Amino acid sequence: MKPGNDDPRKGDGSLNSLDRRLNQTLKSVQGLLKVPGKILLSRKGTEAAAPSASALSDSPFRKDVDDEAGTGPRDSGAQSTSTSKGEAPRSNGSNKSDGVVDSERPSSSPFGSSTSSKGSSTDSSRPSTGGRATDTARVARFRKELSSPAVNLDALRELAWSGVPPDMRPTVWRLLVGYAPPNADRREAVLERKRQEYIDCITQYYDIPDADRTEDERTMLRQISVDAPRTVPDVPFFQHPEMQASLIRVLYIWAIRHPASGYVQGINDLATPFIVVFLSEYLEGDMERWDVSKLTPEIVKNYEADCYWCLSKLLDGVQDHYTFAQPGIQRLVFKLKELVRRIDEPVSTHIEQQGLEFLQFAFRWFNCLLIREIPFSLVARLWDTYLSEGDAFPEYLVYVCASFLLTWSDQLQQLDFQEMVLFIQHLPTRNWTHQELEMVLSRAFMWRVMFQQAPSHLSSG
Amino acid sequence: MAGNSGPEFDHIFKLLLIGDSGVGKSSLLLRFTSDTFDDLSPTIGVDFKLKLVTLSGRRLKLTIWDTAGQERFRTLTSSYYRGAQGVILVYDVTRRDTFTDLSEVWLKEVELYSTNPDCIKMLVGNKVDKDAERVVSKQEGIAFARQYGCLFLECSAKTRANVQLCFEELVQKILDTPSLLADTKGVKKNLLRPEEPYNPQAAPGAGNCTC
Repeated sequence: MKPGNDDPRKGDGSLNSLDRRLNQTLKSVQGLLKVPGKILLSRKGTEAAAPSASALSDSPFRKDVDDEAGTGPRDSGAQSTSTSKGEAPRSNGSNKSDGVVDSERPSSSPFGSSTSSKGSSTDSSRPSTGGRATDTARVARFRKELSSPAVNLDALRELAWSGVPPDMRPTVWRLLVGYAPPNADRREAVLERKRQEYIDCITQYYDIPDADRTEDERTMLRQISVDAPRTVPDVPFFQHPEMQASLIRVLYIWAIRHPASGYVQGINDLATPFIVVFLSEYLEGDMERWDVSKLTPEIVKNYEADCYWCLSKLLDGVQDHYTFAQPGIQRLVFKLKELVRRIDEPVSTHIEQQGLEFLQFAFRWFNCLLIREIPFSLVARLWDTYLSEGDAFPEYLVYVCASFLLTWSDQLQQLDFQEMVLFIQHLPTRNWTHQELEMVLSRAFMWRVMFQQAPSHLSSG
Repeated sequence: MAGNSGPEFDHIFKLLLIGDSGVGKSSLLLRFTSDTFDDLSPTIGVDFKLKLVTLSGRRLKLTIWDTAGQERFRTLTSSYYRGAQGVILVYDVTRRDTFTDLSEVWLKEVELYSTNPDCIKMLVGNKVDKDAERVVSKQEGIAFARQYGCLFLECSAKTRANVQLCFEELVQKILDTPSLLADTKGVKKNLLRPEEPYNPQAAPGAGNCTC
């Protein structure tokens, strides 16, 4: 916040209790992000955001499910208030320093990246590193959910939104995207059938002489083959010939079965988290030490099919991102611009005055779902949340991008056009951990709750 | 880049790299601006780099837009031609299709979208380090350049052969073309801004908006 800005939340007697709870949550979250920037909620954005009681209770608060009695933000009033006060005292008078005050312990928020507020008070074995995903109470809940004869997908989404324990990711992702059926009795048979279907596609479309392909298909295969070696080039694991071959097959089969878009660069990036996660079922330890040459054909078939189907399911939700002229991306970029204007007017004005178009930087963000903007080690965590969003994913992505951009609100305002383009092209996320990423995701979540019931935020004002 | 108290350059130029996917546009640019060679992901949309050079005693600020080569991105990249003083057309000497696409696709893009009639075109055959795999001869490159009025060089981003030279020749030619030097003193704040990127979705809505 700029010095001199009044805290919009201070002393507003008209706020009802729900608003106050939300604001409390807001404050908690604001304290979380110490580096690299402060959180900005512009005056205007907050005013516009003040949600009605019904807005709040209607909103699908999927995120925090650690409290047995209910979910975090919705009934977080007492809980998070007490923990916030206890752990992250800060002045109510101005939130100017909010971004830096909370330097010792970032886990006080119910959105916390490490444990929930409840977890922190009851779970003495809270891990000092890692994230919520490894919280023992959460792990137990995952186990319970996954062992059910019919997985409750809504419950699983709520859990998975905040991060999935790595060893459960393959199973959880298959369920989240609707590839594996929730019904345990049917699951193996369905997966077996789907995997065979993929193999049949390989036989039918891929393992054929080049002469049997159309010119377009040859062009597509050539393009995919050119791109495979340059997919996530900073992660050497993907350079293994076996990985290259898998990537090419998955992308080609996807492209040939989705002729409206065909292969579009960036989709190669999107396949990589699936490859790593589904291989992790068969290989132990650090992925950089995996010996993929030892994989049996049966394993290759299974993991590759899983990648293909999950990639397909993910892309089903954003099909028009990749069709001619990429209207889906154009639309989301437009929404992002409007949203940023509502949340952070100073930055928005600055960007506009400098003549920077959102399309210039956000196009890649949407085309690659931010995968290129963060370290690869964090991408699976990002995917946990994406896949938990289900049908709401494209809309949520706009909020994520806004939250991501405004992480550097202060810095951006100091830069001119050229500096801004260069800065945004290589945002300083190299040393990011789950904590910074989850901060972005949580803030995006809150903003969506605040704005969702105020559709005017997307009309020009 | 800080310190905007007076221009630290005599001219500011906008250059554009175009050509098929995978011919090495981003690698050429990285070699030119950072003198490194790295494995790079395919460019999505458009990337941007800056370089300050001194040529013929004049301090020049080069702003270089590196466009994605895949056809699907063309509606997006087309807005970046506007105002460019120089365009570098890149092909891969080991892939003939990338060479034929220059006349069939890329020159047409330049014709359509470039706003400087005197805009300098530079034809660049990249990857000459892979001599064993070469399928497009130097003579073909020369003939093409002659036919379409381009400068021409063969180079290798990998070995750095001719990379500096290719940018220098292009920029020298721009300096020698008076009509291109108008509005390059950097007085206009948004000189580099690609005007109104093509936006098939938002455009109609924005047009109707009267507020």
